Amino acid sequence: MKLKILPPHLRNKKRYLAFEVRSQNPLTRDEVISLIWGAAGGLYGSCGVSRFDLWVVKVWKCNSSGQNITKGILRCRREEVDRVRSVFPVINRFKGKRVVFHTLGVSGTIKSARRKFIKEGSQSLF
Amino acid sequence: MILFFDFHVKDDPELVKEADRLGYAGLTLFSNGNGNNSNGNENKVEVASGETTNQENSIKKENPIKTYKGVFISAKNPENMRQKVKKSRKNADVIMVRGGDQKINRAACEDPQVDILSAPYLKRRDCGINHVMAKKAALNEVAVELNIKYLIKTNSYLHYKVLSHFREIIKLKRKYGFPLIITSDAESIYDLHIPQDLIALSGCFGMDREEAEAALSETPQKIIERSETRDKVVVDGVKIIE
Repeated sequence: MKLKILPPHLRNKKRYLAFEVRSQNPLTRDEVISLIWGAAGGLYGSCGVSRFDLWVVKVWKCNSSGQNITKGILRCRREEVDRVRSVFPVINRFKGKRVVFHTLGVSGTIKSARRKFIKEGSQSLF
Repeated sequence: MILFFDFHVKDDPELVKEADRLGYAGLTLFSNGNGNNSNGNENKVEVASGETTNQENSIKKENPIKTYKGVFISAKNPENMRQKVKKSRKNADVIMVRGGDQKINRAACEDPQVDILSAPYLKRRDCGINHVMAKKAALNEVAVELNIKYLIKTNSYLHYKVLSHFREIIKLKRKYGFPLIITSDAESIYDLHIPQDLIALSGCFGMDREEAEAALSETPQKIIERSETRDKVVVDGVKIIE
């Protein structure tokens, strides 16, 4: 017998945040994740972060004109978008080098987040 | 659409470009940044601001973003502060006084020539402002700065302290109604943030959306308006109309 999946009205509503990272050193996917988790944990603690339902969906590398730019999509709960955004300005250093996170936009699906905010020709980093 | 301003940025063409990309409508550039100590005498300030004018003109041509000239004053005592303010008032759009010392905080709040009191909580255990200063600041329209870099530069285990200072200031603001301003105090492109992210962050220290938008947009516009009409004002309430 096929298992029933959770009906849509009981699922968590999601939003996808497209973000951009500029850093002095190139970053890997794991480093981006640890930066976001560290800052979120520092600002809101485990109790707060557990409500965000955070997940880094995908990360792209899009270097241009000598700058290390990484773009990515972060999933969170719909009600917590503002609180998740507020984590970004707090991140400023990684291993002694400067980093900065900017939100590019918020979207309801991965597809549209990618189409609107992350341009083609970027290299995916799994 | 709301226009966002950042009123504490180091004078650097690269920063202006980045701010334009992030969606700011205007910046105030300080050639003598936070590092300027009290020994920086008046002559030095004037030389520095003279250079700014030339640079600023070149920036203005390249970018649609508006730039204003600011003078950052760090004084030893209230008397010293008043002198410096008087001297640099004419060739600056925005005057910012470095807070931290209780006496200077108070003198800055009582001086209508001062536009912004920068970081009154600097190196202090309390927020640096009490009800007396709050009343004076509201009367003289001196904006109190919430410095995002000060929050970010502090060790992460001391964030709570800065956030509670900000909360105190916001509490006083709600009661007495002095203007608040959120600035980045950026020295490199890694210090600048998107205004919407800053609005989201301000939720962390108890500001709601409207208050945060006012701190990033209305207060700076009012400061500029005031500095444009300042030359024409003779006494409080009397203005020369051409």
